[in-house]
Amino acid sequence: MEALVGKPVTRVDALEKVSGAAVFGPDVKLVGMLYGKALRSPHAHARIVSINLDAVRKLPGVRAVVTGADMPGVLGGEAVKDMPFLAQGKVRYMGEPVAAVAAEDEATALKAIELIEVVYDELPVAADALAALEKGAPLIHEGLENYARISVIKPVPKSNVITVNEYSKGDVEQGFQESDEVFEDEFRSQTVHHAPLEPHSAVAQVDVSGRIVVWGPNDSPHRLRKDLADALHMRLDRVRVVSTYVGGGFGGKGGLKAEPIAVALALKANHRPVKVVFTREEVFQATLVRHAAVVRIKTGVKRDGTLMAREVKIVWDTGAYAEKGPTVCSQATAAAAGPYRVPHVHLIGQCVYTNKAVAGAYRGYGTPQLAWAYESQMDIIAKKLGIDPLDLRLRNILREGDVNPVGHPVHSVGVEDCLKQVAQAIGWQERQHHPRVTEKGRHVGFGIACGTKNTKTPSGSEAALYLCQDGSLTIVTASVEVGQGVRTILAQIACGVLGLPMENVSFSQPDTDSTPFDASTTSSRTTFHMGNAVKFAAEDLKKQLAQLAASLFGCDVNQVVVDGGKAWLSEQPERSLTYPELLQKQYGAGASMMGRGFYYPKSEQGKAFHESPSLFWMYAAHAVQVEVDPKTGRVEVTRLAAAADTGRAINPVNCLQQIEGGAVHAIGTTLMEELIVDKQGRMVNPNFHDYRIPTAMDAPEILASLVEAPHREGPFGAKGMAEIVTTSVFPAIGNAIEDAVGVRIRDLPIRSDKVWRALRESKEK
Amino acid sequence: MKERSVTLRINGEIHVFNHVSVRKTLVQLIRDEAGLTGTKEGCGEGDCGTCTVLLNGQPVNSCLVLATEADGKEVLTVEGLSREWDLHPLQQAFVEEGAVQCGFCIPGMLLAAKALLDENPSPTEAEIRAAIAGNLCRCTGYVRIVQAIKSAAVSLSSPPLTAATGKGPGI
Repeated sequence: MEALVGKPVTRVDALEKVSGAAVFGPDVKLVGMLYGKALRSPHAHARIVSINLDAVRKLPGVRAVVTGADMPGVLGGEAVKDMPFLAQGKVRYMGEPVAAVAAEDEATALKAIELIEVVYDELPVAADALAALEKGAPLIHEGLENYARISVIKPVPKSNVITVNEYSKGDVEQGFQESDEVFEDEFRSQTVHHAPLEPHSAVAQVDVSGRIVVWGPNDSPHRLRKDLADALHMRLDRVRVVSTYVGGGFGGKGGLKAEPIAVALALKANHRPVKVVFTREEVFQATLVRHAAVVRIKTGVKRDGTLMAREVKIVWDTGAYAEKGPTVCSQATAAAAGPYRVPHVHLIGQCVYTNKAVAGAYRGYGTPQLAWAYESQMDIIAKKLGIDPLDLRLRNILREGDVNPVGHPVHSVGVEDCLKQVAQAIGWQERQHHPRVTEKGRHVGFGIACGTKNTKTPSGSEAALYLCQDGSLTIVTASVEVGQGVRTILAQIACGVLGLPMENVSFSQPDTDSTPFDASTTSSRTTFHMGNAVKFAAEDLKKQLAQLAASLFGCDVNQVVVDGGKAWLSEQPERSLTYPELLQKQYGAGASMMGRGFYYPKSEQGKAFHESPSLFWMYAAHAVQVEVDPKTGRVEVTRLAAAADTGRAINPVNCLQQIEGGAVHAIGTTLMEELIVDKQGRMVNPNFHDYRIPTAMDAPEILASLVEAPHREGPFGAKGMAEIVTTSVFPAIGNAIEDAVGVRIRDLPIRSDKVWRALRESKEK
Repeated sequence: MKERSVTLRINGEIHVFNHVSVRKTLVQLIRDEAGLTGTKEGCGEGDCGTCTVLLNGQPVNSCLVLATEADGKEVLTVEGLSREWDLHPLQQAFVEEGAVQCGFCIPGMLLAAKALLDENPSPTEAEIRAAIAGNLCRCTGYVRIVQAIKSAAVSLSSPPLTAATGKGPGI
């Protein structure tokens, strides 16, 4: 029954993608389609004094013009409803859409937005989170406590703090007193962009009844439908969302991005569809970024290395609108102490508005910024105590049944094996014998780190399977193929249960009209949640087939076996009927059979929303070898070993693809990438030549491996893993640099000039 | 706005475009006028390589070429690599080696790889990496893309075993 599970089946989406046939967001083309463009704010914080639309309305080819004034009371946002579709009254970041135009062609739309005259009255800017926390800082959202919001969000009135989240276990003060050594450090990380190769886009159309349809590369059609319906005060069924293939997401293709502009224009376009495709500059400035974070971490340890107490205080720079910032804060802060046994814990996260690009979900959902802190500090502790960094980690590492830092017993914990595997792969024990200086005079260092991440809990997924009369199968789900290989995984599960070959399967397009509810294709939740739903749906089909066979055989259903595409009486395996034969015998004129599966994790009473403990935890470890040029400070990662706990790998190649890609993505974050914002809040490098992501020349040798610590509730023991694949890369590199040249870098990215300066300062001492 | 007529041989077929704005780029012409949306546009600034096509056999960022500049030339896009169901060995290798994740960079990557193998049938790993350095990928870490190009180089330099791995049109 599980023949396909665990096999490196070739990805089912690959053929469409190598032939150029796969349809992504910018490929959508409808009859009568108009092209929309937004006029964006040149200021990070300003009051809008006036908008003059006289000239733009006279331009031939312009069909719709819209500003925030046309949409009073329309505010979007999954956690906090604070974001207008187009600025209302004031702008809060550079690049915020102020007005938009739909025209017969793109060139006319571009010309049109230049004809819009906006008069601004500039306001003081809060360009980073610490400045935004200061007394007298400009208030970015006056009356933030009045915004509609989900229950876990706790705004602080008359401040820029949209929420504060706190977790405690034991008594940290007592823990510090009982410690032999107490370490206090601060680590910072920068603003980075997902930088998917596909730009954000949306096509929207409003039909004659006022129903809205949106097509685009959105990772979560049901969530987008709710975001749009809530903001526009419409019923859910009055909005339809269809998701295309997503050309890279990493968290950045959910929620309201190009969609609100396309919808705002479509509402005024006389039922014609409106297409909006962002330029690369717009993608950088006005979609989503990863939170810059300031992490203060205080840890008490016994002389033998036993962790006693850990206090972590985090300031999350969430940008101009809440988006998923508050849920990043609540969820990631809970993971701030790392995958360790710590008896006394206090974690507190503050989510702070600034006049910058909106921050939200980004592969790892805040946990990479935290691992950067706790895993860098683990090496500081190891060095001071004279313990090997790997041994210090293994002494404190979480194992099956332990209680984690937020007080929950943990199950399916593969982090110890992850650490051991990467240590083995990189040659951790033998590193002392490795030459420490190369022929070119570069210094060699080794670093190791691990990390953990939770998943949003609880959340639901529903799947339908249509077994056609010829025995072929259509998998009907709203899970979006964002590049993670979800179609392949779900097909392996369905075919595994039903005993059908993979060739017999087709997939629905995610569409809120036809594919059942799914919370989101995020949080590494799909293999677990939708995997379970598909498994239940396949089991439901098998049950119906067994009943059909029993009625045809004239026997009890318990005497029927269904497997491998056939049903038979258990005593007479030679008298079997295939699925098509069963359907044909009963429904000769044609029929299909539908299997249904719904998964929603059991939640504690009264905790049916975000307060619940994580359904599962992800774990990974990384070990790297670096070379540092002491003359220039340049760092090169020459080898990287990575291991992630998959629970059970439904498709090992898919998992390895995540690990490899995540490793290189994270090398970019660690050494190369930073969205730079000046004191006026202006982003200075919103393009790929000034914001450099790794090329094939920057990728090292990658030694990837899997760990399987099966989860009792996951499909075949599987759990999610795609977000944990970057988390411990950052500190592993930082630790390796310290090992190579003896300097500790505490703020990302680790650019050459920072290493060079630190080396010079260390020599001066 | 000034307009011209542009004639291209795209994937072996003659296309005549009338009234092409002199400001229109080749990628816009290929996608919007010829309807070949396999070619992607990732940045429009020549930085990411997703719009790579072969122009008279040479790889170009088609967002940096004006449509009128390409007049009278031959263009190969991803759609022209395969014929009906027969994949080009590069496409076959990308599928088999697991080089494809989100897939958005893949059309450009395939054409950059084809240009390399046309010039250099047995490249070293360093030569492969240099040849695709102008094609960004955010998903794969390039690991399996490099493997796929290596593997395609091997199958291209040995005679095809079956029709399914036959050589593409290669104009």
